Amino acid sequence: MKPPKKLSTAQKQVVNDRIGAEIDQILASEEELIPTSGFLSSVMERVEEEAAVPPPLPFPWRRLAPGIALAAGVICWGAVELVRGGMPSLTSFPQLAPHLSETLAHSAESAGWVALALGVSLISWSISRRLAGRGGLL
Amino acid sequence: MVSLTTTLTSTMEQKAADDLADVARVLAGDVQAFEGIVRRWQGPLVNMAWRYSRDRGRAEEMAQEALVRAWRGLKQWRREGNFSTWLFALAANVFRSELRRFPTETLPLEEAPEPAGPALQHSQLEKRGRDEVVRRAVLALPPPYREPVILFYFHEQDVAAAARNLGLPEGTLKARLLRARALLRRRFPQLAGEAGTMHAALNPAARNQGREVTN
Repeated sequence: MKPPKKLSTAQKQVVNDRIGAEIDQILASEEELIPTSGFLSSVMERVEEEAAVPPPLPFPWRRLAPGIALAAGVICWGAVELVRGGMPSLTSFPQLAPHLSETLAHSAESAGWVALALGVSLISWSISRRLAGRGGLL
Repeated sequence: MVSLTTTLTSTMEQKAADDLADVARVLAGDVQAFEGIVRRWQGPLVNMAWRYSRDRGRAEEMAQEALVRAWRGLKQWRREGNFSTWLFALAANVFRSELRRFPTETLPLEEAPEPAGPALQHSQLEKRGRDEVVRRAVLALPPPYREPVILFYFHEQDVAAAARNLGLPEGTLKARLLRARALLRRRFPQLAGEAGTMHAALNPAARNQGREVTN
């Protein structure tokens, strides 16, 4: 039995061109589909449904701004007080023992201010949440 | 030929003007104006989705999703190009992500069934079956080659339109088409039959368009 004859480069090119042309013809000759009769109405139904839904409420940043500013101020004030209260204890390190009770008292006072600042922040957060509604971002 | 081109151009221009007017009305709050856009583009979008999925029902679902997304994002159309260019690009994104979420079942390219050879293609039915096998094989191409082929033939072998649709440079698209063709040719060597020669002889326009990419 004779082995199959090998194609020359030119013959291979011809074969490739034929296949390419056939693939072109097949892919280009796709039949046109016509959308079903209900397609238009179903799209418009969905569009109308979406149009009827009210737009989402924007987050009330303007209303929340005073609360944020107040909370930030309180926190800053608390932080400044805390640092000021802690400074004497740091500078009077050699005489630590006599000042220890005083420093602890200062720290307790500062902690109170911090707690107050956190409380105010919490209150402003809950007020803003109520203003934004329960479906809001918070 | 000239009058056909002129008619096509004026139809396209008319469509573009209608799109522009309808979009303006929709943005002004007239929801019903969107119906004009759906009427004009439902056919092309369903056909495009069909080429991506080869599933009639799914094609309509995907086309519907694309139109709804277009409605939602109408404000984002910057009017720099035609509305249809924007719409097709958006649709391609929608179809791609839909098919990523729920892929169409396809065989790997190597396992695609053999189409009947020319000697067996006695009936129109067999030819249709063979053509469908080749079209389905496009879906089995590696992802970078699949979409260029789908969109090149969807846009009637217009390289520029397919490139715009995919947001690719024309050179890249041509290179991908060449590679995709090579893969398909290797998969279907039996297509080098009489039909190929007949088509090339009978349809010089298609042959020339094919050559633009082949060379």
